[in-house]
Amino acid sequence: MSSAVATQETVAPAVEEQDKPPKEPRGFNTFEFALMAPTLALLALLSLVPFFTLIAMSFSDVRTLGRIRLEFTGLENWVDVFTNPAFWASWGRSLIYFTSIIVLEMVLGFAFAVVLNNLIRGRSLLLSVVLLPMFLAPVMVGLLARFLLDSTIGLYAKMLAGVGFDTDVFANPSTAMPAVILIDVWEWTPLVALIMLAGLTSVPPSTLEAAAVDGAGFFRSLFNIVIPQMKAVILVALLVRSMDAIRYFDVITATTNGGPADATKIIPIRLYEMAFRFNNQIGQAAVVGLTMLVFSIALANVFLRFFGDREVARAHVAGGDH
Amino acid sequence: MLGRLKPWQRVLFLVLGILIGLWSAIPIAWMLITSLKPQEAIRTSDLVFSFTPTLENYRNLFFGGNRAGSFLVNSLLVSIISTFIALALGSLAGYGMAHWRSRHKKDVSFWILSTRMAPIAAVIVPLFVMFRIAGLVNTIPGLILACLTFNLPFAIWLMNAFFHQVPRSIEEAALVDGCSKMRAFWNVALPVTRPGLITTAVLCLVFAWNDYAFASSLGGPQTSTLPMAAGALVTQSGIDWGLLCALGIVIALPMLIAGLAVRRHLVTGLSLGAVTGE
Amino acid sequence: MTSLSNPFTRRRFLTGAAGTAALLALPGCGEQTQTPTGSQGGGGDPWKQFSGTSINMISENTPPTAAIAANPGPFEQLTGIKLNIQQMELDKVVEKVKLDFSSGTAQNHVIYADPYQILAPLADGLADLKPLIENKDYPPVEKGIEDFIPTQMDALGKYLDADKIYALPYDAPTMILHYRKDLFEKYADKMQSDLGFDPMPSEAMTWDQYYSIAEWFNKNAKSDVKYGTGHQAKQHDSLQADFSNVLWAYGGDYFEKGQELGGISSEDPGAVTVGSDPGVQAATFYKKLIKIAHPSSTTWDWTGLADAFLAGQIAMCPNWHEFAAGEEKQFPGKIGYALLPKGPARRAHNFGGTGIGINGNAKDAELGAAWLFVNWATSPETQLMTLGSKVGGGTPTRNSVYELPEVQAEIDKSPSKYPNIRTAPTVLKAWEKENIGLRPKVPQWVQLNTIIFTELSKMLTQDGDPAATMASMQDQMQKAMQ
Repeated sequence: MSSAVATQETVAPAVEEQDKPPKEPRGFNTFEFALMAPTLALLALLSLVPFFTLIAMSFSDVRTLGRIRLEFTGLENWVDVFTNPAFWASWGRSLIYFTSIIVLEMVLGFAFAVVLNNLIRGRSLLLSVVLLPMFLAPVMVGLLARFLLDSTIGLYAKMLAGVGFDTDVFANPSTAMPAVILIDVWEWTPLVALIMLAGLTSVPPSTLEAAAVDGAGFFRSLFNIVIPQMKAVILVALLVRSMDAIRYFDVITATTNGGPADATKIIPIRLYEMAFRFNNQIGQAAVVGLTMLVFSIALANVFLRFFGDREVARAHVAGGDH
Repeated sequence: MLGRLKPWQRVLFLVLGILIGLWSAIPIAWMLITSLKPQEAIRTSDLVFSFTPTLENYRNLFFGGNRAGSFLVNSLLVSIISTFIALALGSLAGYGMAHWRSRHKKDVSFWILSTRMAPIAAVIVPLFVMFRIAGLVNTIPGLILACLTFNLPFAIWLMNAFFHQVPRSIEEAALVDGCSKMRAFWNVALPVTRPGLITTAVLCLVFAWNDYAFASSLGGPQTSTLPMAAGALVTQSGIDWGLLCALGIVIALPMLIAGLAVRRHLVTGLSLGAVTGE
Repeated sequence: MTSLSNPFTRRRFLTGAAGTAALLALPGCGEQTQTPTGSQGGGGDPWKQFSGTSINMISENTPPTAAIAANPGPFEQLTGIKLNIQQMELDKVVEKVKLDFSSGTAQNHVIYADPYQILAPLADGLADLKPLIENKDYPPVEKGIEDFIPTQMDALGKYLDADKIYALPYDAPTMILHYRKDLFEKYADKMQSDLGFDPMPSEAMTWDQYYSIAEWFNKNAKSDVKYGTGHQAKQHDSLQADFSNVLWAYGGDYFEKGQELGGISSEDPGAVTVGSDPGVQAATFYKKLIKIAHPSSTTWDWTGLADAFLAGQIAMCPNWHEFAAGEEKQFPGKIGYALLPKGPARRAHNFGGTGIGINGNAKDAELGAAWLFVNWATSPETQLMTLGSKVGGGTPTRNSVYELPEVQAEIDKSPSKYPNIRTAPTVLKAWEKENIGLRPKVPQWVQLNTIIFTELSKMLTQDGDPAATMASMQDQMQKAMQ
C-alpha cells in the first residue's frame, strides 16, 4: 500500500480548475480505500458472519444443546413461518406501529425544531429540556412509562382519571398500541428535532429574506422554500429512525409484553420469542429476522431514491466527481 | 428565523415552547422527585408532593447488595472506549469513502448502512458463538466490540456525510501547496469537521450507553452495564420504584452532562449544508 | 431510622440483615461442627476442598437469591469459594442459559432451573446431582434429600427419569387466598345474612361463594374497599397461573395425563384436553369472575395485584404466598390466609417453585464448588437465614425447618420475625398431593403458555366466547405439540 500512496503524491498536485477528472487510479487501489480497508474488514467480520449464519439457520433445524448443530431442512422453516397467520398479524401490527412512529416523530420533530428556531428567549433552555428523553435507555423509558401509567400509583394515570379517562391504558387492546407508540415518540422525537433544527438553521437567510420581500407568509415560506431545502436532512432523520424503529422492542417488553390480546406484539418481539423462549425454533426465528432485514433494506432504498438522489446529482455536477 | 414575526406569532411560539418543554420534562422531573422519596411516599394511592427528601434510594443502589457502582464503571468504560474507536475508525473510513472514486461506491456505502439494520435477537445466537470461540464473552473488550457492531457503521456513515461538506477547494489548495493526502486529512479536513466529530461522538456514546440487548447477552457477571441493572430490579415480587427512579437518574445524568456540554456543537454539526445520505 | 413500611425494598434491609442473618446462622455454630468430617483423609475439611475456586450463579431476582447475594460472607468463609451472582428477569435468565448451553463450556455454573423453561426443555444440559449427593468426598446433604417436601422434589428436581436428580428445591411460591381479615370480620354478620352462608374463608368455601362475596363487597363496602376481588389477569404468565387454579378446580387440565405431568412427567403427555367440558365451564366462570373484579385486573401481573392489595383497593385475591411479608408490614395482623376455594372437582393451588441445578458442562473444581454451593444454599440453616431476611424472604422447602420450634413460635405472631411463615399452615396443606396444582412439564410449555394466556387475554378483553376460546386454545396447543 505504501507504494500506492507514493504514487499518489507524485501524481496528485496541479489540479486544474476545469471539470476534467484528474488522472488518478480508480477503484480499490487508492489511498482512500486504504483508509477504509481496516474498518471495513472489521465491519465485515462482525456483520457478514452472522448474516451468513442467519441464512444457514433459516434453512436448517438448529439444535443448541451442547454445541450448535445445523441440520439442513430445506424450505421447511420458511413454509412454517409464512403459513402462520400469527406471523402476518404481527407484521401488520409492526407496520402500523412503525408508520405511526415515523410519521409522528418526523412531524413533531419538525414542529419542535420550528418552535425552537423561532424562540427568541429561552431557546437554549428549551433545547436542553427537549433533548432529555433521548438520553434514557429504552428499557428505562419503558419502566418509567409503566410507573407513570400504573393504575395504583401512576402520576399520568391519576391525571387521566381526573379528566374522566378511567380505563387502564395498558389493559385495553385499543389503547395499548397508541400508548406504546406515544412512549416511543416521547423518547425519540428529540433526536429528530435535533437533526431538523440543524437543517433549519442552515437555510440561508438570504433566501428567506427574498421570500419575505416577495410577501410570502410564514407557513408559505415554510412549505415552499424551507422544506425542499432540507431534503437531505430529512433523509438523515428518516434513515436514522427507521433503522431502529423496526427493531427496538424494549419499551413494549417492559410495559405490555406484547399484550393485551397480542395487540402490541410486533415482529421483533415475536422474533425474540421464537429465538429464546420457544423450543427449537431458532431456524424459524432466522426466517423472521431475514424478513425484517429485507424490509429495512427495501425501505432504505425507497428513502434514498426519494430524498437522496437529487442532492447527489447536484454534488456531482458542482464539485467534480465526488 | 423566518423573517420578522408578528407579536401573536411570538406569543404562540412561546406557548408552544412551554408545552413542548412540559411534555419532555414532566416524566423526568417526576422520576427525579420519586428517586428522592422515602418508600411510604411512593407506595400510596394518593400522589404525594410534600415529603422529606432522602438519599436512601441512591445509597441502596450503590451499596445495599446492588453493585450499581461497578455497573456504572463498566458502562463508562465500554461506552467511552467504543465511541472513541468508532470515531477514529469511522473518520478514517468516512474520509476515504468521501473521496473514493469507484463505481462500487454506492453499493459499499449502502452495505455499510445495512449492517446497522440487523435484527438483534436473530444475530445474537451466531454472535454469541463467535464471541465464545474467541473468548470474548463476559469481557470488556467483548462488549466494546459488540457496541462497535452498531456504532461503527453509524460513525462511518455520518462522518462520510460530514466530509462531503468540506469544500473541495480547501483540500485542493492544501494539496497544491505540497501536503500529502494524509496531512490534508489531518490538518485540513478534520478540523473543519470538528462539530461533525462531536455530533457523531455524542450520538455513538448515547447508543452505546443505552444498549441493553447486546450487553445482556454477551456480557456476564463481571461485565454488567447500567441498563442491566434496570432489568435486575424487576424482582419476582415487585419493582422497587424508588430504586428504579434513582437508577434512571444515574443512567441519564452522565449522558445529560455530556450532551448539554456540547449542544452547541451538536446543532452546528448537523447543519453543514446539505447532508446527503450517501 | 425511617420506618420499614415497604416490604419490597429487600435491598436496603439486607445490609442490616447481614448482621442479623449471621446471628441467625449461629445457633448451629456453622456447618463445621455438624458435618461429619471423616470423609477426607488427614482431617481435611470437606467444605474447604475447593477453596480459591470462583463460580458464577445465574438466577431470577427471587428472595433466596437476593438474600444470599447480599450476604455471601457465610458461604465464602465456610468454603473459600468466590461466588458471583447475577440476577435478571426470568426471560433473560432463560436466554443466557440457552446461549451458555450452546457453547459447550460452562460460563454459569449454578443455574436457577425453572422447571418449565429450563428443566424440561434443557434437562440434558444439567448435571445429575445423584452422584454428587452420594459421593462420600463431599459434605452430605444435611438431613438427607428426604427432608425436602416430596411433591416439590418431584416437581422441581426430576424429569422423566426417576433416578436422576437435576435440581434441589430452592424456592416455593404457591398461590393461596389472601384476604383482609379486618374487613371480613367487620362485615361478616351482614354478609352472612345477605348471602346465606358463613363468608369467612375456610376449607368449605367454593368458587361460586367466592364470586358472591366479591360481588357483595362491590356493592356494599365501597367506603372501605373499592372492589371485592382482584386478579393477575394481564396477558402474561400470571393470567395462566390464576386461571389454572380454576381450571383444575373444575376438574379440567391441560393434558390427558393431567397432574402426573407436573411431577416426573412423561415423554408423551397425551392429547390436549383443555377444550373439554370442564375446561369450558372453568373459562365461563373465570370470565364471569373477572367481569366483577377490579377493572385493572387485566393490567396486573402478580406484583401489580399485590400493589393494589397493599394499597387497600381490594378485599381479597388469589396470589403467591410470598407476598405475605409485604402485606404483614402494611396491615399487621389484619391479613388472613386460606386455601383457595374449591370447585366441583377439587381445590388447586398453582405451585411456582424452582430448584437450583448445576451446568452439565461444569468440570472438576468448578463442578465440585458448584455442588458445595447448591448443597449449602438449600441447607436448613441457609433456609432459615433466608426466611428471616428482614423483608421476609423466601419460604423453606424442607420439612425440618417448619418443625423448628423457633419457626413454629412465629406462625401466629404478628408482627412476626418471619412474616412469610404466617402462611405456613396454609401452604403446607396446599402442597399436599390432592391440593397442589402442577403445570405440565413439557419442553413446549413456554409456547403453550403463551397460547394459553394470549387466548385468555383475548377472551377477557375482547368479550370472547369461552367455548370458542378454549376450542381455539386446544387447537393451537395440539398443533404446537406436533
